[in-house]
Amino acid sequence: MSSEEVRLAVPALPEYVRLARLTAAGLASRLGFSFDEVEDLRIAVDELCYLLVGPDGREGSITLTYAMEGDSLVIVGHGAAGPRAAEFADLSEQILAAIVDEYEVTRADDVITFRMVRHQQRQ
Amino acid sequence: MRPPPEREALQHLFAEYRRSGDASVRDRLVEAHLGLAEYLARRFDRRGEPLDDLVQVASLALIKAVERFDPDRGLEFSTFAVPTIVGELKRHFRDKSWAVRVPRRLQELHLRLGTVVAELTHELGRSPTIPEIADRLDASTEDVLEAMEAGRAYRSSSLDAPVAAEEGDATMPLSSKMGEVDLNLSNVDERSQLASLLRDLPERERTILVLRFFDGLTQSQIADRVGISQMHVSRLLARTLQQLREKAIAAGEPPPELR
Repeated sequence: MSSEEVRLAVPALPEYVRLARLTAAGLASRLGFSFDEVEDLRIAVDELCYLLVGPDGREGSITLTYAMEGDSLVIVGHGAAGPRAAEFADLSEQILAAIVDEYEVTRADDVITFRMVRHQQRQ
Repeated sequence: MRPPPEREALQHLFAEYRRSGDASVRDRLVEAHLGLAEYLARRFDRRGEPLDDLVQVASLALIKAVERFDPDRGLEFSTFAVPTIVGELKRHFRDKSWAVRVPRRLQELHLRLGTVVAELTHELGRSPTIPEIADRLDASTEDVLEAMEAGRAYRSSSLDAPVAAEEGDATMPLSSKMGEVDLNLSNVDERSQLASLLRDLPERERTILVLRFFDGLTQSQIADRVGISQMHVSRLLARTLQQLREKAIAAGEPPPELR
């Protein structure tokens, strides 16, 4: 099973979350994900980056790692908790559960790590 | 404005298009009504946007209207199409701040993207891949990805002011399905933030959210079911999610522990 990895570090500002979404979309496209699946991934990445960045951003940076493993895309991110991190509410959980195959968010002291996996559906 | 050709001939064409989904039939219907699109575009002229752009927006809205029109519902096509086209023209002006930030080529691509995705989904019977979309648009895959990014109402961009009802959408055929929606909500823990937030949403937004995150429908399936374009579903979802988040924060609910 082949595995390729892309690493992205960006300032923890909302305008840079765009790059995180775009990278996810680009890699998903490489793996042959459909339009609907790419849209889902962008929502998921946006949701999870929000935890690290908050609505207005903060100092510092966030780091994301994208791994293409066979047919699947695994995205791991970490950074200091953003100002809204405590409000990772039911809604975010419902959203993520619906649109990715696996996800996990952990918090140790003030650092949040998230991991999400999406397998490509063969059509 | 030149009146459109005989009603009966057009009614037959609409019925045929609905049955066959044949793009050449659709194109004939669009051509027959281009005068209407141009007429409406001119109504918005001299407000700071080039007439060419307005005509293009109106024409694309006309295509959408032709695709979505259901002749069995007893409406005249123009009754249905005029609010659709006017709605898109108004949205074009609302998006002007977006127009300043997003390169024009991307804007055009974004406008065409919705139609092309709908076409391909219909033709292929599934959601198209990015290369398939790029091919149809005669653009690169990078352009397609950028175009997808261009239109979304994400947290990092300013949102459109919420509109009470988007003009031009077919009347929600889901009023008869409201019973279904309520059934789903009653399964959710009464005390959960989510249920109470959902209840405060306007009917259409709530339905779309429930269909997406409780019933697991894709955006294309929701678009089909609800009678709006997939791009519109996408925008509504993103905007509604953000509004829900802000409400949750404003309500000051005690936050759950992160796992």
